Amino acid sequence: MTPRNRAMLEFVLDNLVWFMLLAVLIIFSVSVPNYFQVGIFANIVEQSSFVGVMAIGLALVIIAGHMDLSVESVAALSAMVTGILFCGAGIGMGIVLDPPWLMIPVSLLIALAAGAAIGTINGFLIVKVKMNAFIVTLAAFIWVRGLVVALSGGRSAQDLAPAIRVIGIQRIGYIPLVAWIAIACFVIFSLIMAKTPFGRHLLMIGGNQAAAFRAGIKVDKILIIAFVLAGAIAGLSGWLLAIRTSGATANLGVGMLFNAFAAVVIGGVSLKGGVGALPGVYAGVLLLSAINTAINLMGLPPHFTQMIHGGLVLAAVLLDTFKHSIRQKLA
Amino acid sequence: MKRILLAILGAVAVAMALLSPAFAQSKGKVYYMVPTLLDEFQTGSVSALEMFMGQVGYEMQTLNADNKTDVQQSQMNDVIALKPAAIILAAVDFNALKPSIEAARAAGIPVIQFDRQITSTASDFTSVAGTIEIGQVAAEEVQRLLTEKNGAVKGKVLQVLGDPGDPYTLDIQQGFEEVMKDFPDVTIISLPAMMWEASNAGTIVSDQLLANPDIDLIFLHAAHLSVAAVASLEAAGRQPGDIYVMSSNGAPVGLELIRKGWLQVEVEQPLYAQAAAVAMFMDKVVNKEEIKPGEYDVLGLKSVVTIEAWGPNIKIPGAAITKENVDNPAFWGNLQPPTDQVKPVE
Repeated sequence: MTPRNRAMLEFVLDNLVWFMLLAVLIIFSVSVPNYFQVGIFANIVEQSSFVGVMAIGLALVIIAGHMDLSVESVAALSAMVTGILFCGAGIGMGIVLDPPWLMIPVSLLIALAAGAAIGTINGFLIVKVKMNAFIVTLAAFIWVRGLVVALSGGRSAQDLAPAIRVIGIQRIGYIPLVAWIAIACFVIFSLIMAKTPFGRHLLMIGGNQAAAFRAGIKVDKILIIAFVLAGAIAGLSGWLLAIRTSGATANLGVGMLFNAFAAVVIGGVSLKGGVGALPGVYAGVLLLSAINTAINLMGLPPHFTQMIHGGLVLAAVLLDTFKHSIRQKLA
Repeated sequence: MKRILLAILGAVAVAMALLSPAFAQSKGKVYYMVPTLLDEFQTGSVSALEMFMGQVGYEMQTLNADNKTDVQQSQMNDVIALKPAAIILAAVDFNALKPSIEAARAAGIPVIQFDRQITSTASDFTSVAGTIEIGQVAAEEVQRLLTEKNGAVKGKVLQVLGDPGDPYTLDIQQGFEEVMKDFPDVTIISLPAMMWEASNAGTIVSDQLLANPDIDLIFLHAAHLSVAAVASLEAAGRQPGDIYVMSSNGAPVGLELIRKGWLQVEVEQPLYAQAAAVAMFMDKVVNKEEIKPGEYDVLGLKSVVTIEAWGPNIKIPGAAITKENVDNPAFWGNLQPPTDQVKPVE
C-alpha cells in the first residue's frame, strides 16, 4: 500500500462514524419518502440534542475508565425541578422573575446544580469511599428516579414559562436554539478534551490509572470533577428536555441512557477507558437520530421498530469493530 | 444516650397504641398492585382507591411494579403469603399474571381486576372502563372532528400509541381502528412513543408534520404525551386548532390543554367511578357473596354489572371531555374527589 493510500485509509478509519452517518443519510434520503428535506435534517439535529448532551458527560466518565448509569435519572430530576419551579400548570409553582429573561439563567443554574449535586455524591462514593462505579451509579439511577416520582407525586408539570420556552421555539438558520446549545457543548468539551491538561489527564487516567498517579496527576480530584461534570451535563440535558416538552413528567427521559451508551460506543469511545473523542460521539448521536427519524417516516408496524432500531445499532457497532480489525492489520 | 433511646421507644409505643384502634376497626387489609407510578392515572388510582376503601372500612396497602411483569409476579407471591382480605390487581401484563391470580384464588384470597380486564382466567370482580371501548369512543370523536373540519369523515390522522409492548395501548388501538376501518377516506398513520416517554411523542409529531403536512388530527393514547405533541406543534409555528389534537385517559394535563384550546377532546377513563365500584362491591367479594347482574349507580354514572366467563364485571362508561364540559368536577382530571361517601352494595 502506498503511503498516500494508507493515509487516506487512516483518515477514513479515524472518521468512520461520520462516513457512516453520511451513508445512512444518503440511503434514507433516496429510499424513504419525504426524508430528504431541510426540515427533517433540522429535526435530526434537534432530536439528537438531549441524548447528545447526556452522552458528553457519559463519555467523559467512560474515557476516565469508569461508568455513570445515573445520567438518565439525573436529567429527569433536573427537568422535574425546572418544571415544578417554572411551569404554570399541573404541579408547577409558576415562579415568575422580573425581568422574565432572568428565568433562563436561573432555571439553568438550578438544573445544573441539581445534576452536579448528584454527580458529587456519585464521585465521593466512588473515589473517596472506593465503591464500585457501576453499583453506585446504578443505585443512583434507581433512587434519583424515585426522587423524581416522590417530588412530583407521579403528576406532571406543564406549561413552562414562555420566557424559557423561547429556547425551544426560536431557530437560527433552520436549527432550533436547543440544538445550538448542544452543538456548543460538543465544541466546548471537545476543545477541553483536546487542548487542556484536564482532558489529557482524563485520557491518561482512563488508559492507566496507576501510571497517571505515578506521573503526579491528581487522579482523585480529576475523577471527582469528571463525575460532577457528568451530573451537571445531565442536568443541562434535563433542562433542555423540559424546554422541549414544555414541562416534565415522572417518566421523562426513560430509555435515553441506552441511546446515550450506544452513541458513545458508536462514536468510538472504548468502554475500557482511555480512548475516545467527543466529535465521534456527536456523530454517533446524529446517526441514531437519523435512524429514528427514518423509522418514524417509514410507517412501519410499531411492534417492529424496536427490533429495527436495535439491529441498526448493532450493525453500526459491527462496522466499528471491523474498523478496529483493519487498523490492527495496518499497524 | 439511654434517655434518648428510652424516649424514642416510648414515642414508638405511644404511636403503636394510637394506631391499634384503627387496625381494630378495619375489616381487613387489601393490597393494591399498581403497575406503575409514572403516570397520573395510576397515581390518581392509588389515592382514589385508598379513599374509597377507607370509606367502606378496609385498610389499603399499595405495591408498585414499575411496569415490570416479573416484579408484579413476585409481589403477588409475597402478598399471597400475607393472606390479605383481597388483592386489587391492575396487571402489568394481562396474560403473564394469570397463574398468580389462580394461585391467590386457590389460597382463598379474592382477586379484583382494576382498570385492566383479564378474560383468560376467573376473577372475583372486575372494574373497568374498557380500553377497547376507549378506542371506540375516540373513533366516534374523530369522526365528529373530521366532519367538522373537512365536511365528511375523511382526512389524515396521526395516531401516537404508547409503548407497543403494553397491551393497554394495543387495546385502544384495536378499538379505534375497528371503528375507523369503515371509513376508507381516512388515512391513519400509527407510531409508538416508546416507553410512554413524552419527548418520543414530540419527536414523532415534529417528523410527521414535515413528512405529512396535511395531517388533520393527532390522537395520542395518553394525555401526558399530548403535552409534548403540543410543544412540537408550537415549535413548528402552529396555532391552537390548526391541527386537531385529542388524547385519552383524562389526566389533568389534558384538561389544561383543552382549556387552552390546543386539545379538542380528551377521552376520560372514569377513574373515581372505577375505584368507587371496587369499594362498593368489596364486602361481597371478601365475604364471597353473590354479585347480582344489573344496573348500578356508581357516583352518578349508570354502570352495568354482567356475569362473564371470567366473573362479575362492571363496565363504567368513559366520557368525551370537550371545551363545553371540561370543568365538570366529576372528571378525575379536575382533581376534585367526590364528597359523597361510598356505601357497600347490600
